[in-house]
Amino acid sequence: MSENVYVISAAMTPFAKHRESSYIGLAVPPLVDAIQQSGLQKSDIGALYVGHSYGGMMTGQRIAKEIGLGHIPTVNVDNACSSGATAVHEAWSAINQGLFDVAVVIGVEKLTQFGGGTLPLSPEDREVKQGIIMPAVYAMRATRYLHQTDATPEDLALVSVKSREHGALNPFAQFRTKTTVEEVLNARMIADPLTLPMCCPTGDGAAVVILASESARKRLGLDGPAMRVAASVLHSGHVEEGFRDMTWPDISRDSAFDAYAMAGIEPKDLDMIELHDAFSIAEIIYYEIFGLAERGRGADLIRDRRTTFGGDVVVNPSGGLLAKGHPVGASGVAQVAEAFWQLTEQAGARQIEKARWGMTHVTGGGTAGLDHGACTIHVFESA
Amino acid sequence: MTTEAPVSAPITDLEADSLLGDFGGERHLVGTHCRNCGRNMLGTRTVCSECISRDVERVALPDTGTLYSYTRIHVGADGVRPLGYVDLDGVEVRTLADLLEGADGLAPDSRVELVTRGDDWFFSPIVAN
Repeated sequence: MSENVYVISAAMTPFAKHRESSYIGLAVPPLVDAIQQSGLQKSDIGALYVGHSYGGMMTGQRIAKEIGLGHIPTVNVDNACSSGATAVHEAWSAINQGLFDVAVVIGVEKLTQFGGGTLPLSPEDREVKQGIIMPAVYAMRATRYLHQTDATPEDLALVSVKSREHGALNPFAQFRTKTTVEEVLNARMIADPLTLPMCCPTGDGAAVVILASESARKRLGLDGPAMRVAASVLHSGHVEEGFRDMTWPDISRDSAFDAYAMAGIEPKDLDMIELHDAFSIAEIIYYEIFGLAERGRGADLIRDRRTTFGGDVVVNPSGGLLAKGHPVGASGVAQVAEAFWQLTEQAGARQIEKARWGMTHVTGGGTAGLDHGACTIHVFESA
Repeated sequence: MTTEAPVSAPITDLEADSLLGDFGGERHLVGTHCRNCGRNMLGTRTVCSECISRDVERVALPDTGTLYSYTRIHVGADGVRPLGYVDLDGVEVRTLADLLEGADGLAPDSRVELVTRGDDWFFSPIVAN
């Protein structure tokens, strides 16, 4: 018998280049903060799910032992950029099925360990051997999108400008200064047509959320802020040997519409979305994929400021990956933390008024033949 | 009746890295054709990704195709590196490829052809006569 699952606590470190901190150093502070804010005792926690891609063996156990959290099942999850959100999905799934009634989810990553440059991809992959890097994948999406529509590099820059505006309001963001279209367009070229500010930065960070069943909230007397998990969807990429439309990533389309169906909502119901803007072109394409804009008209939303505060739906109020930062395995959990703060009115200067419905979306990519390897989408409702 | 469990031999795929192969003295991109369902795939495969048949054969892929999209990578040790996806003619196979920029530059939907330089291979715009 499935029952409603709630997010009852969230905490995170600011995303930044925390060169002096290990995976443990990044994750323990938000883990302690999230537990203390929830009102839970350690003994109430039934399971621990830990999303990371580069933490090495037993990352979750290495973190948990620092606070004497043992015995319970600890599951380490790798789905590239979707690792953290996949961990949330697994925790939701287990509680939904009645395996546990309280689960803690950690997303953590330390990218400064690589000393800079683009994200290391699997050396076994055929296209990685040929020299593909993630900026090039998104750059080819952008080239094709600009070829097929009336969108321009200025539109790509507008996404970065909006992200920085939002990031300037977020104490957890890696970039907290505003920028201009001119600055973005004149910045260093990474992969045509994407300049540096159109690419998310690398950095370090951790985020923690705690999920509990409705009955656990009653039993344990947890009456603090909460949001209901209205949908939790995980899809994997499917190989295409031949033609693939890079401007229409099916995996995110299918995941989003499955999530809408599960939550019983339509795109227009959403008050906020944290989406996977690893590169600015992605945000414009996802406007269309999520049904917020007609096909080919995604850029209209950024031009008309319909996805910022005061618009139809606030997309990436946190600043998104472009401004908040993207420590791979941490991002999916950080998105859920942002939704939690927005839907429980704890978002400070970036608070969206009367936000009821929130969606988080994160993909995991870098595999030849797939548009993305994984896609995780959650829909939340304020409780 | 008893049965014996199959012994699943690993694929020695690390020996088949190069996509450029020799076909009777001519060099083409290496593909794999499934004799069971007809699917074509890039590179050397031992299992069809559609029907999972092992009845597959090594084939030469076409030297011409259409550039789907491209970029120029400005980071890394190689200087500016043009890279794109080419949809090869008539086989429903797409390959990532290094590109040579002609005098007219690169554009999506333009026609391109395979060019080899030593063991390196590229796709280059087909110059209209």
